[in-house]
Amino acid sequence: MALRIASRRLALAQQCAPKMLRRGMATPASAIEHTKEPLSATSESLSASRPPIPESKTTTVKEPHFDPQAKTKTFHIYRWNPDEPTSKPKMQSYTLDLNKTGPMMLDALIRIKNEVDPTLTFRRSCREGICGSCAMNIDGVNTLACLCRIPTETTKESRIYPLPHTYVVKDLVPDLTQFYKQYKSIKPYLQRDTPPEDGRENRQSKADRRKLDGLYECILCACCSTSCPSYWWNSEEYLGPAVLLQSYRWIADSRDERTAERKDMFQNSMSLYRCHTILNCSRTCPKGLNPALAIAEIKKSMAVA
Amino acid sequence: MATSALRPALRQAFAAPTARSVLPALRYQSLAQRSPILTQSSGFQTSSRRQILPPLPQKIQGTVNDAAVHPEPHPQHGSYHWSMERLVSIGILPLTVAPFAAGSLSPLLDGAFISLLIVHTYMGFGNIITDYLPKWRVPRWRMFFDYANLLAVFVVGWGWYEFETNDVGLTEAVKRIWRASSEKKSI
Repeated sequence: MALRIASRRLALAQQCAPKMLRRGMATPASAIEHTKEPLSATSESLSASRPPIPESKTTTVKEPHFDPQAKTKTFHIYRWNPDEPTSKPKMQSYTLDLNKTGPMMLDALIRIKNEVDPTLTFRRSCREGICGSCAMNIDGVNTLACLCRIPTETTKESRIYPLPHTYVVKDLVPDLTQFYKQYKSIKPYLQRDTPPEDGRENRQSKADRRKLDGLYECILCACCSTSCPSYWWNSEEYLGPAVLLQSYRWIADSRDERTAERKDMFQNSMSLYRCHTILNCSRTCPKGLNPALAIAEIKKSMAVA
Repeated sequence: MATSALRPALRQAFAAPTARSVLPALRYQSLAQRSPILTQSSGFQTSSRRQILPPLPQKIQGTVNDAAVHPEPHPQHGSYHWSMERLVSIGILPLTVAPFAAGSLSPLLDGAFISLLIVHTYMGFGNIITDYLPKWRVPRWRMFFDYANLLAVFVVGWGWYEFETNDVGLTEAVKRIWRASSEKKSI
Protein backbone atom coordinates (compact mmCIF):
# COMPACT_ATOMS: atom_id res chain seq x y z
CA MET A 1 0.00 0.00 0.00
CA ALA A 2 2.72 2.39 1.00
CA LEU A 3 4.71 1.49 -2.09
CA ARG A 4 1.73 2.22 -4.31
CA ILE A 5 1.24 5.64 -2.82
CA ALA A 6 4.93 6.38 -3.22
CA SER A 7 4.96 5.42 -6.89
CA ARG A 8 1.87 7.59 -7.51
CA ARG A 9 3.56 10.54 -5.93
CA LEU A 10 6.55 9.94 -8.18
CA ALA A 11 4.35 9.90 -11.26
CA LEU A 12 2.71 13.12 -10.15
CA ALA A 13 6.13 14.71 -9.67
CA GLN A 14 7.13 13.66 -13.18
CA GLN A 15 4.05 15.24 -14.67
CA CYS A 16 4.68 18.47 -12.81
CA ALA A 17 8.34 18.55 -13.94
CA PRO A 18 9.28 20.94 -16.77
CA LYS A 19 8.96 19.60 -20.30
CA MET A 20 12.71 19.45 -20.83
CA LEU A 21 13.24 16.90 -18.07
CA ARG A 22 10.27 14.70 -19.01
CA ARG A 23 10.89 11.69 -21.17
CA GLY A 24 8.01 10.38 -23.21
CA MET A 25 7.52 6.92 -24.74
CA ALA A 26 8.40 7.87 -28.30
CA THR A 27 11.71 9.63 -27.82
CA PRO A 28 13.87 9.89 -30.95
CA ALA A 29 17.19 7.99 -30.87
CA SER A 30 19.20 11.18 -31.19
CA ALA A 31 17.57 12.49 -28.07
CA ILE A 32 18.62 9.40 -26.10
CA GLU A 33 22.19 9.41 -27.37
CA HIS A 34 23.42 12.06 -24.96
CA THR A 35 21.45 10.62 -22.04
CA LYS A 36 23.03 7.16 -22.32
CA GLU A 37 25.04 6.47 -19.23
CA PRO A 38 28.67 5.39 -19.79
CA LEU A 39 28.21 1.83 -18.51
CA SER A 40 25.52 1.04 -21.08
CA ALA A 41 27.50 2.65 -23.84
CA THR A 42 30.54 0.45 -23.27
CA SER A 43 28.54 -2.74 -23.01
CA GLU A 44 26.71 -1.91 -26.22
CA SER A 45 29.88 -1.23 -28.12
CA LEU A 46 31.45 -4.47 -26.89
CA SER A 47 28.52 -6.78 -27.68
CA ALA A 48 28.59 -8.14 -31.22
CA SER A 49 25.04 -7.47 -32.30
CA ARG A 50 24.47 -9.17 -35.63
CA PRO A 51 22.35 -7.52 -38.26
CA PRO A 52 19.03 -9.37 -38.98
CA ILE A 53 19.11 -11.92 -41.80
CA PRO A 54 17.24 -10.52 -44.81
CA GLU A 55 13.95 -12.22 -45.61
CA SER A 56 15.22 -13.36 -49.01
CA LYS A 57 17.56 -15.75 -47.19
CA THR A 58 15.04 -17.21 -44.73
CA THR A 59 12.21 -19.71 -45.05
CA THR A 60 8.66 -18.71 -44.43
CA VAL A 61 6.39 -20.56 -42.00
CA LYS A 62 2.95 -20.65 -43.58
CA GLU A 63 -0.44 -21.66 -42.30
CA PRO A 64 -0.83 -25.47 -42.56
CA HIS A 65 -2.48 -25.78 -45.96
CA PHE A 66 -5.27 -28.19 -46.82
CA ASP A 67 -3.98 -31.30 -48.53
CA PRO A 68 -6.42 -32.30 -51.29
CA GLN A 69 -5.00 -35.82 -51.24
CA ALA A 70 -5.76 -36.25 -47.52
CA LYS A 71 -8.03 -39.16 -46.63
CA THR A 72 -9.54 -37.87 -43.44
CA LYS A 73 -11.39 -40.46 -41.43
CA THR A 74 -13.27 -39.96 -38.20
CA PHE A 75 -12.88 -42.33 -35.27
CA HIS A 76 -15.40 -42.28 -32.44
CA ILE A 77 -13.80 -43.72 -29.34
CA TYR A 78 -15.40 -44.63 -26.02
CA ARG A 79 -13.94 -42.60 -23.20
CA TRP A 80 -14.39 -43.01 -19.49
CA ASN A 81 -12.05 -41.78 -16.82
CA PRO A 82 -12.09 -43.44 -13.37
CA ASP A 83 -10.66 -40.23 -11.89
CA GLU A 84 -14.04 -38.61 -12.58
CA PRO A 85 -16.43 -41.31 -11.41
CA THR A 86 -19.46 -39.04 -11.51
CA SER A 87 -19.12 -38.16 -15.19
CA LYS A 88 -20.74 -40.54 -17.62
CA PRO A 89 -18.87 -42.41 -20.35
CA LYS A 90 -18.76 -40.43 -23.57
CA MET A 91 -17.78 -40.87 -27.19
CA GLN A 92 -14.92 -38.73 -28.39
CA SER A 93 -14.21 -38.11 -32.06
CA TYR A 94 -10.78 -37.93 -33.61
CA THR A 95 -9.92 -37.27 -37.24
CA LEU A 96 -6.82 -38.70 -38.84
CA ASP A 97 -5.34 -38.50 -42.32
CA LEU A 98 -5.15 -42.13 -43.40
CA ASN A 99 -2.19 -41.36 -45.67
CA LYS A 100 -0.11 -40.61 -42.60
CA THR A 101 -1.47 -43.55 -40.57
CA GLY A 102 -0.56 -47.21 -40.66
CA PRO A 103 -3.04 -49.70 -42.11
CA MET A 104 -4.35 -51.18 -38.86
CA MET A 105 -6.69 -49.86 -36.19
CA LEU A 106 -3.92 -50.14 -33.62
CA ASP A 107 -1.77 -47.80 -35.74
CA ALA A 108 -4.58 -45.26 -35.68
CA LEU A 109 -4.98 -45.60 -31.91
CA ILE A 110 -1.25 -45.24 -31.32
CA ARG A 111 -1.16 -42.20 -33.59
CA ILE A 112 -4.06 -40.61 -31.75
CA LYS A 113 -2.30 -41.23 -28.44
CA ASN A 114 1.04 -39.91 -29.71
CA GLU A 115 -0.12 -36.89 -31.63
CA VAL A 116 -3.64 -35.90 -30.66
CA ASP A 117 -4.65 -36.99 -27.19
CA PRO A 118 -2.15 -38.58 -24.79
CA THR A 119 -4.91 -39.34 -22.28
CA LEU A 120 -6.43 -42.04 -24.50
CA THR A 121 -5.86 -45.38 -22.77
CA PHE A 122 -5.73 -48.85 -24.31
CA ARG A 123 -3.75 -52.07 -23.96
CA ARG A 124 -1.34 -53.14 -26.65
CA SER A 125 1.83 -55.09 -26.72
CA CYS A 126 2.94 -57.20 -29.68
CA ARG A 127 1.06 -55.38 -32.51
CA GLU A 128 0.90 -58.65 -34.51
CA GLY A 129 -1.90 -60.74 -33.03
CA ILE A 130 0.14 -62.89 -30.67
CA CYS A 131 -0.44 -61.37 -27.25
CA GLY A 132 -4.18 -60.63 -27.34
CA SER A 133 -3.85 -57.38 -25.40
CA CYS A 134 -5.56 -55.06 -27.86
CA ALA A 135 -8.91 -56.88 -27.96
CA MET A 136 -11.71 -54.35 -28.35
CA ASN A 137 -15.02 -53.82 -30.10
CA ILE A 138 -14.35 -52.16 -33.44
CA ASP A 139 -17.32 -51.27 -35.65
CA GLY A 140 -19.49 -53.70 -33.72
CA VAL A 141 -17.16 -56.69 -33.90
CA ASN A 142 -14.90 -57.93 -31.15
CA THR A 143 -11.45 -58.20 -32.62
CA LEU A 144 -7.81 -57.41 -32.07
CA ALA A 145 -7.03 -53.83 -33.08
CA CYS A 146 -3.68 -54.99 -34.46
CA LEU A 147 -5.34 -57.46 -36.84
CA CYS A 148 -8.19 -55.16 -37.92
CA ARG A 149 -7.63 -53.10 -41.04
CA ILE A 150 -8.98 -49.55 -41.11
CA PRO A 151 -11.75 -49.48 -43.73
CA THR A 152 -10.40 -47.13 -46.39
CA GLU A 153 -13.69 -45.48 -47.32
CA THR A 154 -13.53 -42.20 -45.48
CA THR A 155 -17.28 -41.54 -45.50
CA LYS A 156 -17.82 -44.30 -42.96
CA GLU A 157 -16.88 -43.40 -39.43
CA SER A 158 -15.29 -46.01 -37.20
CA ARG A 159 -16.51 -46.65 -33.69
CA ILE A 160 -14.29 -48.22 -31.08
CA TYR A 161 -15.59 -49.51 -27.75
CA PRO A 162 -14.08 -51.71 -25.05
CA LEU A 163 -15.11 -55.37 -25.00
CA PRO A 164 -18.87 -55.52 -24.38
CA HIS A 165 -20.30 -56.43 -20.97
CA THR A 166 -17.00 -56.05 -19.17
CA TYR A 167 -16.21 -53.78 -16.26
CA VAL A 168 -14.18 -50.92 -17.72
CA VAL A 169 -10.99 -49.89 -16.00
CA LYS A 170 -10.43 -46.88 -18.23
CA ASP A 171 -11.33 -45.91 -21.81
CA LEU A 172 -10.70 -49.10 -23.81
CA VAL A 173 -9.24 -51.19 -21.01
CA PRO A 174 -11.59 -53.92 -19.72
CA ASP A 175 -11.29 -55.72 -16.38
CA LEU A 176 -10.73 -59.40 -17.17
CA THR A 177 -10.35 -60.60 -13.57
CA GLN A 178 -13.33 -62.96 -13.73
CA PHE A 179 -12.13 -64.32 -17.07
CA TYR A 180 -8.73 -65.22 -15.63
CA LYS A 181 -10.25 -66.66 -12.46
CA GLN A 182 -12.37 -68.94 -14.59
CA TYR A 183 -9.36 -69.87 -16.68
CA LYS A 184 -7.53 -70.84 -13.51
CA SER A 185 -10.48 -72.97 -12.35
CA ILE A 186 -10.15 -75.40 -15.29
CA LYS A 187 -6.54 -76.17 -14.32
CA PRO A 188 -4.93 -75.35 -17.65
CA TYR A 189 -1.84 -77.49 -17.23
CA LEU A 190 -0.79 -81.10 -17.75
CA GLN A 191 -1.96 -83.34 -14.91
CA ARG A 192 -0.38 -86.77 -14.66
CA ASP A 193 -0.07 -89.30 -11.89
CA THR A 194 2.27 -91.75 -13.61
CA PRO A 195 5.69 -90.90 -14.96
CA PRO A 196 6.38 -91.82 -18.60
CA GLU A 197 7.53 -95.45 -19.10
CA ASP A 198 11.04 -94.69 -20.26
CA GLY A 199 11.53 -91.93 -17.71
CA ARG A 200 11.92 -89.26 -20.38
CA GLU A 201 9.45 -86.74 -21.85
CA ASN A 202 5.69 -87.21 -22.02
CA ARG A 203 5.50 -88.08 -25.67
CA GLN A 204 2.51 -88.42 -27.96
CA SER A 205 1.96 -89.64 -31.49
CA LYS A 206 1.62 -87.30 -34.45
CA ALA A 207 -2.08 -88.19 -34.74
CA ASP A 208 -2.65 -87.27 -31.09
CA ARG A 209 -0.77 -84.04 -31.55
CA ARG A 210 -2.91 -83.20 -34.55
CA LYS A 211 -6.00 -83.27 -32.31
CA LEU A 212 -4.69 -80.18 -30.54
CA ASP A 213 -4.47 -78.12 -33.73
CA GLY A 214 -7.08 -75.40 -33.67
CA LEU A 215 -7.08 -75.48 -29.87
CA TYR A 216 -3.59 -74.59 -28.74
CA GLU A 217 -3.48 -71.39 -30.87
CA CYS A 218 -5.93 -69.60 -28.58
CA ILE A 219 -4.31 -66.49 -27.10
CA LEU A 220 -7.04 -65.78 -24.53
CA CYS A 221 -7.92 -62.37 -25.88
CA ALA A 222 -11.51 -62.80 -24.54
CA CYS A 223 -13.04 -61.65 -27.85
CA CYS A 224 -15.23 -64.77 -28.05
CA SER A 225 -16.34 -64.87 -24.42
CA THR A 226 -17.39 -61.22 -24.43
CA SER A 227 -19.28 -61.67 -27.70
CA CYS A 228 -21.42 -64.49 -26.25
CA PRO A 229 -24.88 -63.35 -25.04
CA SER A 230 -24.98 -66.31 -22.68
CA TYR A 231 -21.73 -65.13 -21.14
CA TRP A 232 -23.11 -61.59 -20.92
CA TRP A 233 -25.99 -62.72 -18.72
CA ASN A 234 -24.18 -65.38 -16.69
CA SER A 235 -20.50 -64.51 -16.60
CA GLU A 236 -20.45 -65.27 -12.86
CA GLU A 237 -21.16 -68.98 -13.44
CA TYR A 238 -20.92 -69.81 -17.14
CA LEU A 239 -17.32 -70.31 -18.18
CA GLY A 240 -17.60 -68.88 -21.67
CA PRO A 241 -16.23 -70.09 -25.00
CA ALA A 242 -12.57 -69.18 -24.52
CA VAL A 243 -12.20 -71.03 -21.22
CA LEU A 244 -14.19 -74.02 -22.49
CA LEU A 245 -11.99 -74.20 -25.58
CA GLN A 246 -8.96 -74.23 -23.32
CA SER A 247 -10.57 -76.91 -21.18
CA TYR A 248 -11.16 -79.04 -24.26
CA ARG A 249 -7.55 -78.50 -25.24
CA TRP A 250 -6.61 -80.44 -22.07
CA ILE A 251 -9.44 -82.95 -22.36
CA ALA A 252 -8.30 -83.78 -25.89
CA ASP A 253 -4.66 -84.05 -24.88
CA SER A 254 -3.56 -87.70 -24.93
CA ARG A 255 -0.93 -87.07 -22.26
CA ASP A 256 -3.35 -85.75 -19.67
CA GLU A 257 -4.67 -88.29 -17.14
CA ARG A 258 -7.42 -86.28 -15.44
CA THR A 259 -9.87 -86.23 -18.35
CA ALA A 260 -12.70 -87.71 -16.25
CA GLU A 261 -12.20 -85.10 -13.51
CA ARG A 262 -12.10 -82.32 -16.04
CA LYS A 263 -15.41 -83.47 -17.51
CA ASP A 264 -16.96 -84.06 -14.10
CA MET A 265 -16.33 -80.39 -13.32
CA PHE A 266 -18.97 -79.47 -15.91
CA GLN A 267 -21.76 -81.68 -14.50
CA ASN A 268 -23.99 -78.78 -13.57
CA SER A 269 -26.41 -76.54 -15.36
CA MET A 270 -24.22 -73.46 -15.43
CA SER A 271 -20.54 -74.08 -16.23
CA LEU A 272 -20.91 -75.68 -19.65
CA TYR A 273 -24.58 -76.07 -20.53
CA ARG A 274 -25.37 -72.37 -20.76
CA CYS A 275 -23.92 -72.64 -24.27
CA HIS A 276 -26.89 -72.50 -26.63
CA THR A 277 -24.81 -72.72 -29.83
CA ILE A 278 -25.26 -69.05 -30.63
CA LEU A 279 -21.95 -69.28 -32.53
CA ASN A 280 -20.92 -65.65 -32.00
CA CYS A 281 -17.66 -67.03 -30.65
CA SER A 282 -16.67 -68.77 -33.88
CA ARG A 283 -17.72 -65.80 -35.93
CA THR A 284 -15.71 -63.25 -33.98
CA CYS A 285 -12.50 -65.16 -33.18
CA PRO A 286 -9.66 -63.02 -34.57
CA LYS A 287 -7.44 -66.11 -34.82
CA GLY A 288 -9.97 -68.06 -36.87
CA LEU A 289 -10.52 -70.76 -34.24
CA ASN A 290 -13.80 -72.51 -33.53
CA PRO A 291 -14.69 -72.48 -29.82
CA ALA A 292 -18.26 -73.62 -30.56
CA LEU A 293 -16.92 -76.83 -32.08
CA ALA A 294 -14.80 -77.47 -29.00
CA ILE A 295 -17.81 -76.96 -26.73
CA ALA A 296 -19.89 -79.28 -28.90
CA GLU A 297 -17.12 -81.89 -28.63
CA ILE A 298 -17.16 -81.63 -24.84
CA LYS A 299 -20.96 -82.00 -24.77
CA LYS A 300 -20.82 -84.96 -27.12
CA SER A 301 -18.13 -86.77 -25.18
CA MET A 302 -20.03 -86.20 -21.94
CA ALA A 303 -23.34 -87.39 -23.40
CA VAL A 304 -21.88 -90.62 -24.77
CA ALA A 305 -19.81 -91.38 -21.70
CA MET B 1 -39.78 -35.32 -40.40
CA ALA B 2 -40.45 -38.44 -38.41
CA THR B 3 -41.50 -36.41 -35.41
CA SER B 4 -44.43 -34.87 -37.26
CA ALA B 5 -46.24 -38.19 -37.13
CA LEU B 6 -46.14 -38.21 -33.35
CA ARG B 7 -48.71 -36.77 -31.05
CA PRO B 8 -48.02 -33.07 -30.30
CA ALA B 9 -47.32 -33.66 -26.62
CA LEU B 10 -44.79 -36.36 -27.34
CA ARG B 11 -43.23 -34.27 -30.08
CA GLN B 12 -42.74 -31.40 -27.70
CA ALA B 13 -41.25 -33.66 -25.09
CA PHE B 14 -38.91 -35.12 -27.67
CA ALA B 15 -37.84 -31.79 -29.10
CA ALA B 16 -37.45 -29.98 -25.79
CA PRO B 17 -34.11 -31.36 -24.54
CA THR B 18 -32.41 -30.99 -27.93
CA ALA B 19 -33.71 -27.58 -28.91
CA ARG B 20 -31.80 -24.48 -27.94
CA SER B 21 -33.92 -22.18 -30.08
CA VAL B 22 -37.57 -21.26 -29.96
CA LEU B 23 -37.89 -21.05 -33.75
CA PRO B 24 -38.99 -24.35 -35.29
CA ALA B 25 -36.70 -23.98 -38.31
CA LEU B 26 -33.64 -23.64 -36.13
CA ARG B 27 -34.84 -26.47 -33.96
CA TYR B 28 -34.77 -28.87 -36.90
CA GLN B 29 -31.38 -27.59 -37.89
CA SER B 30 -30.03 -28.32 -34.45
CA LEU B 31 -31.46 -31.84 -34.73
CA ALA B 32 -29.72 -32.38 -38.04
CA GLN B 33 -26.44 -30.98 -36.85
CA ARG B 34 -26.09 -33.40 -34.00
CA SER B 35 -23.60 -36.23 -34.38
CA PRO B 36 -24.95 -39.57 -35.64
CA ILE B 37 -24.20 -41.27 -32.33
CA LEU B 38 -26.48 -38.95 -30.42
CA THR B 39 -29.26 -39.46 -32.95
CA GLN B 40 -28.93 -43.19 -32.46
CA SER B 41 -29.06 -43.09 -28.69
CA SER B 42 -31.98 -40.68 -28.35
CA GLY B 43 -35.15 -42.67 -28.21
CA PHE B 44 -38.79 -41.76 -28.28
CA GLN B 45 -39.07 -42.86 -24.69
CA THR B 46 -39.92 -39.98 -22.41
CA SER B 47 -40.01 -41.83 -19.10
CA SER B 48 -36.80 -42.89 -17.42
CA ARG B 49 -35.55 -46.30 -18.43
CA ARG B 50 -35.88 -49.08 -15.89
CA GLN B 51 -33.71 -52.08 -16.41
CA ILE B 52 -34.95 -55.46 -15.25
CA LEU B 53 -31.66 -56.84 -13.95
CA PRO B 54 -29.11 -54.01 -14.15
CA PRO B 55 -25.47 -55.02 -13.79
CA LEU B 56 -24.24 -54.84 -10.22
CA PRO B 57 -21.01 -53.18 -9.18
CA GLN B 58 -18.04 -55.45 -9.65
CA LYS B 59 -17.50 -57.82 -6.76
CA ILE B 60 -14.63 -60.28 -6.78
CA GLN B 61 -15.15 -63.54 -4.90
CA GLY B 62 -12.08 -64.09 -2.75
CA THR B 63 -8.88 -62.59 -4.07
CA VAL B 64 -8.05 -62.01 -7.71
CA ASN B 65 -5.75 -65.02 -7.65
CA ASP B 66 -8.36 -67.52 -6.45
CA ALA B 67 -9.87 -69.77 -9.08
CA ALA B 68 -13.58 -69.43 -9.80
CA VAL B 69 -15.63 -72.02 -7.88
CA HIS B 70 -17.70 -74.61 -9.72
CA PRO B 71 -20.92 -76.00 -8.23
CA GLU B 72 -21.16 -79.57 -6.99
CA PRO B 73 -21.35 -82.00 -9.92
CA HIS B 74 -24.82 -83.44 -10.57
CA PRO B 75 -25.23 -85.33 -13.86
CA GLN B 76 -29.00 -84.80 -13.58
CA HIS B 77 -28.35 -81.10 -14.12
CA GLY B 78 -25.49 -81.69 -16.52
CA SER B 79 -24.97 -84.31 -19.15
CA TYR B 80 -28.12 -86.38 -18.37
CA HIS B 81 -30.27 -83.29 -18.68
CA TRP B 82 -28.64 -82.28 -21.96
CA SER B 83 -28.91 -85.81 -23.40
CA MET B 84 -32.57 -85.94 -22.38
CA GLU B 85 -33.23 -82.65 -24.17
CA ARG B 86 -31.65 -83.96 -27.37
CA LEU B 87 -33.47 -87.29 -27.20
CA VAL B 88 -36.84 -85.61 -26.71
CA SER B 89 -36.15 -83.25 -29.63
CA ILE B 90 -35.17 -86.15 -31.86
CA GLY B 91 -38.23 -88.14 -30.74
CA ILE B 92 -40.64 -85.33 -31.62
CA LEU B 93 -39.46 -85.13 -35.24
CA PRO B 94 -40.89 -88.45 -36.53
CA LEU B 95 -44.00 -88.07 -34.40
CA THR B 96 -44.94 -84.81 -36.14
CA VAL B 97 -44.94 -86.51 -39.53
CA ALA B 98 -46.05 -90.06 -38.64
CA PRO B 99 -49.82 -89.52 -38.20
CA PHE B 100 -50.15 -87.77 -41.54
CA ALA B 101 -47.85 -90.14 -43.37
CA ALA B 102 -49.58 -93.21 -42.00
CA GLY B 103 -53.01 -91.71 -42.45
CA SER B 104 -54.30 -93.41 -39.36
CA LEU B 105 -55.36 -91.74 -36.15
CA SER B 106 -54.10 -93.42 -33.08
CA PRO B 107 -54.82 -91.86 -29.70
CA LEU B 108 -51.66 -93.53 -28.40
CA LEU B 109 -49.54 -91.80 -31.04
CA ASP B 110 -51.29 -88.53 -30.29
CA GLY B 111 -50.68 -88.99 -26.60
CA ALA B 112 -46.99 -89.77 -27.09
CA PHE B 113 -46.57 -86.71 -29.31
CA ILE B 114 -48.31 -84.41 -26.86
CA SER B 115 -46.44 -85.69 -23.81
CA LEU B 116 -43.11 -85.30 -25.58
CA LEU B 117 -44.13 -81.81 -26.68
CA ILE B 118 -44.95 -80.91 -23.08
CA VAL B 119 -41.62 -82.24 -21.82
CA HIS B 120 -39.87 -80.37 -24.62
CA THR B 121 -41.50 -77.04 -23.77
CA TYR B 122 -40.93 -77.62 -20.07
CA MET B 123 -37.20 -78.06 -20.66
CA GLY B 124 -37.12 -75.12 -23.04
CA PHE B 125 -38.79 -72.78 -20.57
CA GLY B 126 -36.55 -74.21 -17.85
CA ASN B 127 -33.52 -73.16 -19.91
CA ILE B 128 -34.89 -69.64 -20.30
CA ILE B 129 -35.48 -69.38 -16.55
CA THR B 130 -31.98 -70.63 -15.79
CA ASP B 131 -30.56 -68.14 -18.28
CA TYR B 132 -32.32 -65.02 -17.13
CA LEU B 133 -32.98 -65.56 -13.42
CA PRO B 134 -29.68 -66.38 -11.73
CA LYS B 135 -30.18 -68.24 -8.49
CA TRP B 136 -27.52 -66.24 -6.65
CA ARG B 137 -29.23 -62.98 -7.54
CA VAL B 138 -33.00 -63.50 -7.51
CA PRO B 139 -33.51 -66.78 -5.61
CA ARG B 140 -37.20 -66.19 -4.85
CA TRP B 141 -38.23 -65.22 -8.36
CA ARG B 142 -36.23 -68.16 -9.63
CA MET B 143 -38.07 -70.56 -7.35
CA PHE B 144 -41.42 -68.99 -8.25
CA PHE B 145 -40.83 -69.38 -11.99
CA ASP B 146 -39.46 -72.89 -11.61
CA TYR B 147 -42.62 -73.97 -9.79
CA ALA B 148 -44.83 -72.03 -12.20
CA ASN B 149 -43.14 -73.91 -15.03
CA LEU B 150 -43.84 -77.21 -13.32
CA LEU B 151 -47.43 -76.20 -12.63
CA ALA B 152 -47.87 -75.29 -16.30
CA VAL B 153 -46.88 -78.85 -17.24
CA PHE B 154 -49.82 -80.26 -15.27
CA VAL B 155 -52.30 -77.58 -16.36
CA VAL B 156 -51.40 -77.98 -20.03
CA GLY B 157 -51.33 -81.76 -19.67
CA TRP B 158 -54.79 -81.75 -18.16
CA GLY B 159 -56.02 -79.48 -20.98
CA TRP B 160 -54.65 -81.81 -23.62
CA TYR B 161 -56.19 -84.80 -21.82
CA GLU B 162 -59.58 -83.12 -21.98
CA PHE B 163 -59.07 -82.27 -25.65
CA GLU B 164 -58.03 -85.81 -26.53
CA THR B 165 -60.78 -87.57 -24.60
CA ASN B 166 -63.75 -85.23 -25.10
CA ASP B 167 -62.85 -83.67 -28.46
CA VAL B 168 -61.28 -84.78 -31.74
CA GLY B 169 -57.64 -84.80 -30.66
CA LEU B 170 -54.55 -83.03 -31.92
CA THR B 171 -54.00 -84.72 -35.28
CA GLU B 172 -57.62 -84.47 -36.32
CA ALA B 173 -57.74 -80.81 -35.22
CA VAL B 174 -54.69 -79.97 -37.34
CA LYS B 175 -56.24 -81.80 -40.29
CA ARG B 176 -59.47 -79.85 -39.97
CA ILE B 177 -57.72 -76.49 -39.62
CA TRP B 178 -55.59 -77.36 -42.64
CA ARG B 179 -58.65 -77.90 -44.80
CA ALA B 180 -60.77 -75.19 -43.20
CA SER B 181 -60.93 -72.89 -46.23
CA SER B 182 -61.74 -75.59 -48.77
CA GLU B 183 -64.52 -76.96 -46.55
CA LYS B 184 -65.94 -73.49 -46.21
CA LYS B 185 -66.09 -73.17 -49.98
CA SER B 186 -67.87 -76.52 -50.36
CA ILE B 187 -70.48 -75.46 -47.81
